[in-house]
Amino acid sequence: MSILEARNLSYTYGVGTPFEKAAVKNLSLSVNEGEVIGVIGHTGSGKSTFVQMLNGLIKPQSGQVFFDGVDIWSKPKEIRKIRFKIGMVFQYPEYQLFDETVYQDISFGPKNKGLPEKEIDRIVRKSAKFVGLSDRLLKQSPFDLSGGEKRRAAIAGVIAMDPDVLVLDEPTAGLDPKGRDLLLSQIMQYHRERKNTIFFVSHSMEDIARIADRVLVMNGGVLEMLDTPKKVFSQAEKLESMGLRVPQITKIMLALKDMGYDIDEGILTVEQAFVEIVSLLKKEGKI
Amino acid sequence: MTRDIALGQFVPGKGIVHRTDPRVKILLLIAYITLIFCSFNFVSLGIITAAVVTVIALSGVSFKLYFKSLKVIIFIVIITSLLNMFYGTGEPIWQLGFLKLTMSGIYRAIFVTVRIILLILISSCLTFTTSPTDLTDAIERLMSPLKVFRVKVHEIAMMMTIALRFVPTLLEETDKIMAAQKARGADMESGGLIKKVKAMTPILIPLFVSAFRRAYDLATAMECRCYKGGEGRTRMKSLHIGKTDIIGIVFSALVLTGVVLCDVFILPII
Amino acid sequence: MSFISASGVKYSYDENGSDVLKGITLKVNKGEFIALLGHNGCGKSTMAKTFNALITPREGVIYVDGMDTSDDEVTYEIRRNVGLVLQNPDNQLVASVIEEDVAFGPENLGIAPDEIRERVDKALKTVGMYEYRTHAPHKLSGGQKQRVAIAGILAMKPSCIVFDEPTAMLDPNGREEVMRTIKLLKEKGITIVLITHFMEEAVLADRVIVMEEGEILIQGKPGDVFSEVNLLKKHSLDVPQATELAYKLIGAGLRFSKMPLTTDDCITFLKGVLS
Repeated sequence: MSILEARNLSYTYGVGTPFEKAAVKNLSLSVNEGEVIGVIGHTGSGKSTFVQMLNGLIKPQSGQVFFDGVDIWSKPKEIRKIRFKIGMVFQYPEYQLFDETVYQDISFGPKNKGLPEKEIDRIVRKSAKFVGLSDRLLKQSPFDLSGGEKRRAAIAGVIAMDPDVLVLDEPTAGLDPKGRDLLLSQIMQYHRERKNTIFFVSHSMEDIARIADRVLVMNGGVLEMLDTPKKVFSQAEKLESMGLRVPQITKIMLALKDMGYDIDEGILTVEQAFVEIVSLLKKEGKI
Repeated sequence: MTRDIALGQFVPGKGIVHRTDPRVKILLLIAYITLIFCSFNFVSLGIITAAVVTVIALSGVSFKLYFKSLKVIIFIVIITSLLNMFYGTGEPIWQLGFLKLTMSGIYRAIFVTVRIILLILISSCLTFTTSPTDLTDAIERLMSPLKVFRVKVHEIAMMMTIALRFVPTLLEETDKIMAAQKARGADMESGGLIKKVKAMTPILIPLFVSAFRRAYDLATAMECRCYKGGEGRTRMKSLHIGKTDIIGIVFSALVLTGVVLCDVFILPII
Repeated sequence: MSFISASGVKYSYDENGSDVLKGITLKVNKGEFIALLGHNGCGKSTMAKTFNALITPREGVIYVDGMDTSDDEVTYEIRRNVGLVLQNPDNQLVASVIEEDVAFGPENLGIAPDEIRERVDKALKTVGMYEYRTHAPHKLSGGQKQRVAIAGILAMKPSCIVFDEPTAMLDPNGREEVMRTIKLLKEKGITIVLITHFMEEAVLADRVIVMEEGEILIQGKPGDVFSEVNLLKKHSLDVPQATELAYKLIGAGLRFSKMPLTTDDCITFLKGVLS
């Protein structure tokens, strides 16, 4: 069932000034409950503007966003309620931490939501667990945490609102490989338990290939593609013309396919590639 | 979200006013402001108006921009001129209740209006034609005699430079933090004053933390680039008084003489 | 002759705390391009700060171009000679006009105005930002800002530049701009130390040093280091996908004359095997 739908969304910055720039042009899409949508596009492709329209941080100049079949701007005064249903984690979310303890910081969202004290306590602890923050850390000041822990605390602060849709804008940017892998697995673990819908904006095609059900490609404010990672990444040339890359491994396999070998297109992981090449080598009698 | 910040409102150009030494420009601005407030009759006001109009015409900056800067203060101009209009002494030429309109009031209103407008125009001219860095640089050099009194002139100027550099960055950051807190359901619009002030905490604290982090980084970067205070430092752009500056000075001296002569020989109107 | 030579370097941020650097010995040759890898907190940034005398070792010594970094007399000469580019492009630019910012370093060195002008123009041309010299930094993209920061270092005419995760906060385009600039500097004979988490950047280096908890885990040519797939994976470090694939294929009985590090290496090799 479709949980979120965008119909002809458009947004232009600085209307009527010399700096006028269309960020999103006539964008429509429909997302099913429980899907993980990877969002890619180079800087300035309009993807940030688009995701901020999803939870009403930016009001579209034309077009509508439907959540559960209801236009989110039908009652402009209640737009705040939408933000509890569509959670948004911005780039470098650790920069939003402010409260005395990690616990209090995570409870900011649930408090704004107006949850009762007991419920807040339960959900704060649960969210902290999802991102792997121990009870000991909850009592500390968020500013005493390490970089990776800060990032996870900030994400817990959004998860704690228990949103049905979670938008993550480059959640792994600036983390080291260890921190990145840990965070990605925690997000996916959370997704499996909560069965929520996720928008995952990233420049890392490898990350997108690993977790997305469908990939949304934006270019110049326009939705260029919305399809399975396999189909999207098999179009390496088209992506490259938009200043985007495909995962390294996909590129290697596409090159072999171009030579005429019978290879499944859109190989996304090293494991898949390995299996494919071994069976190819066996067929050719090389090993 | 992206705000276009016209900080210092500098408009790049190569005209005579742009090329004038920023120190000379600052000193001349002070001279003009003094003159604007020392013109007591229509002739001297006329001279100074003509001079200001000449300068802004020479600045090569579009009049539209000057109008824009006037628009900001139009309200103040109207209020003060209305107040002045009814504050004159002498024979009323029109009266409604306690409101007395007198000739001297009208003159007063005209002078106040023209003076404020001239003041804005000539100051805008300085900020339009001088880059913020040139301005801080000029202030540093003009203030350098104060070193005798142990005023830390270089440090003050360095602070101004860094502030100018980081205002746009921090504004952008404020936008981002506000969006992030709104996304967590922060309510910044409703409630009374106290509630609104309280609602600012989630924005102000991250902003302060970020400012400290930036300060720490910047200090490291400055150390890496061999910064050790003002001593032994040279400047890429050395300022020297050239022909354009002399023209500017002479022109302004003539205006000054004109205004003073008029004030002395013609009766003051206000 | 080695340009930087560190021996037995120990360092801790607070007196009684544990050492962040636990006796590091390493050499960087003149003109060499070194990639320094490791997790956050492994001590690589701390190591970088010892190279230009921002911090001095608690134990051990570091010589830069023959100068002892703990000698106060030569601190500024060392800082001039070894530039440091930081991660956040926003936080290292001082002035609100690009060329003024690039001039900041030479101005601190007390160089004559005419020569500063010359150096600034040359540095901006090298990084390809000359057309932007009168612009304000906040209007530039991350990659452009980082190139301006590099120009600011270049204007001090250093023989070595240390980059502390210069691309971590950039998008792929910005990353490429910065890497292109770094390659260019290497060609110009500048010694490069690059701290990074991106393996596709590390494979460009002459030598890779991997640090773990204040010690050197492994070092050598990229091909040799990345062949240690198991060791790297054990320490949850990244391996280029091309190398990982090759490693798996070796396990299946394929022989590689040279470990492939990049996509192109791998494609060329597989083409060779298959045809």
